[in-house]
Amino acid sequence: MEKQIHIEPVTRIEGHAKITVFLDDAGDVRDAQFHVTELRGFEKFCEGRTLWEMPGLTARICGICPVSHILASAKACDAILAVRAPETAILLRRLMNLGQMVQSHALSFYYLSAPDFLLGWDADPTIRNVVGLVAENPDLARKGIRLRAYGQEIINRLGGKRIHPAWAVPGGVNQALTAENRQWMLDNLPEALDTIRETIDLLKTSFDCEARGVLGEFESMYMGLVAPGGKWEHYDGLIRIVDQDGSIVVEGHDPSRYFEIIAEASRPWTYLKFPHYQPMGFPEGMYRVGPLGRVNVCESFGTPEADAELEAFRAATSRCSGKVFDYHYTRVLEILASLERIKVLLDDERILSPRVRAEAGINQLEGVGIHEAPRGTLIHHYKVDENGLIETANFIVSTGHNNLGMNRAVAEIAKMYIHKGDVTEGILNRIEGGIRAYDPCLSCSVHAVGQMPIEVSIVDADGRLHQRLTKG
Amino acid sequence: MDLVIGIGNRLRGDDGIGPALVESLEERPGLERHVVHQLTPDLAPRFGEADRVLFVDAAIDRRELDLDRLAPSEARGIGHALCPAAFLDLAARLYDAAPPAWLLSVPGSDFEIGEALSPEAAARLPEARRRIEAWLEAGSVPVGT
Repeated sequence: MEKQIHIEPVTRIEGHAKITVFLDDAGDVRDAQFHVTELRGFEKFCEGRTLWEMPGLTARICGICPVSHILASAKACDAILAVRAPETAILLRRLMNLGQMVQSHALSFYYLSAPDFLLGWDADPTIRNVVGLVAENPDLARKGIRLRAYGQEIINRLGGKRIHPAWAVPGGVNQALTAENRQWMLDNLPEALDTIRETIDLLKTSFDCEARGVLGEFESMYMGLVAPGGKWEHYDGLIRIVDQDGSIVVEGHDPSRYFEIIAEASRPWTYLKFPHYQPMGFPEGMYRVGPLGRVNVCESFGTPEADAELEAFRAATSRCSGKVFDYHYTRVLEILASLERIKVLLDDERILSPRVRAEAGINQLEGVGIHEAPRGTLIHHYKVDENGLIETANFIVSTGHNNLGMNRAVAEIAKMYIHKGDVTEGILNRIEGGIRAYDPCLSCSVHAVGQMPIEVSIVDADGRLHQRLTKG
Repeated sequence: MDLVIGIGNRLRGDDGIGPALVESLEERPGLERHVVHQLTPDLAPRFGEADRVLFVDAAIDRRELDLDRLAPSEARGIGHALCPAAFLDLAARLYDAAPPAWLLSVPGSDFEIGEALSPEAAARLPEARRRIEAWLEAGSVPVGT
């Protein structure tokens, strides 16, 4: 008789979800589903609003990723104005996106995920959190907190506040960088670099390739933006998709024509859609985005320390890692690359120019804005009328791109750790950990409201609930 | 240095009481103000430099305005946001800093989406403001219990 295991709510992710594990008659895992159970409908209520409001409005999709939405929205608005933002505005937008990369990745790694693998997957769940990490490794916790604060302070000093800065606007940004703030960013950069170097060393010495298989491994395609020469990119660039071997599937695709290669499927058991590579269909067209996706698609980071670490990572793993745990590894590599790029930007004298905004009216009736948010490729696509009122808005967010990958990760981990119906909390946490590795932001992906805990349910072959475990 | 932290979301009605009160305080020497949606660990380093801390937050379970002395309390089963007492515990563990702390709870009644405070909450602002000013003027003298 088949059983189902439900995990609900899923903790330490940005939003709420539940997991169902389907067991067969022998009590082994047949399949698993990651359900996102709330709907917000941001795309719908943007209709009828003015283009000029969109960066500020869409920033409210999320309290963790507002900067990502502001930047994607501003880029979509640039396209509708048919302007290119001044070069200093682009440098400043890049700087803010890198600050966002640092703060968001640090939040994911030090606050939400490190407790799992530094305190142990089977540790008491009531201490397996950032407070437990403080007790176990206060030095790392202190440094991780300061690293995140550094990324947040970059955003604050550029936009005037850490969350929802009304700063990136159609045509550029509304405030230049002061020399004083540039100096603060430069002065505090060495400490941030030291912290991430120490963290990478900790990962390398504590988790060899085999240990990093704890959350499963599977083949997929990977998608991300790349700069000329295949360099890691986060703001501009062209779409590249590679397969598990690193072979090119799509190269140099114009991001504004994303809809030619990406389609979205829906399923009745979740509000989160399933973007996929259209030519291969659903679900065969699964690809993954985010830190692992970006690192797998790029040839190099383009900065010396990050490139040395990338070479070491690939030498110890493969050209493209399929390990779910390596989302964490690549996340810290991206923090290093981001910090190095912050230094390059701050050393560029053009970054202090006061010319930061191009003024224009409505010159196109459609625009697409794409960049790499910390969790992966973020797409804003607007159609407006002659007065600049939004007729349709489409958002494809990072967590959506990874929906197929998260479902697959849950199923793979469940198969590794659940046999004959034997389930313990530690095993369930590994399943949760598989999802947390993607650092999903459900507020963004379904545009969901509120606090969301995790529930795991076990259901038999007749569809009857056999067991339910809840946390959070 | 006195650290005053307003907690809440100004887009959720009376949840914006704490931010509204703290933003209304005039800058003065020895006062550091913060407005946050949630208490997250990145604020903890400021506790290392604070002599006293005052949290200002909307309360859904109170009928009267209360100023309570807080004791650190170990957090259990959290994500990345903490309650004031757990936050004190975190700061103490991280920075060996345990400044005396208080929580000013201002009753709220309407937490639906919207920027306006309910008439009841708005009517409590003057008294809440007087309590904050009294706390600030008390300096190092313990206030409340």
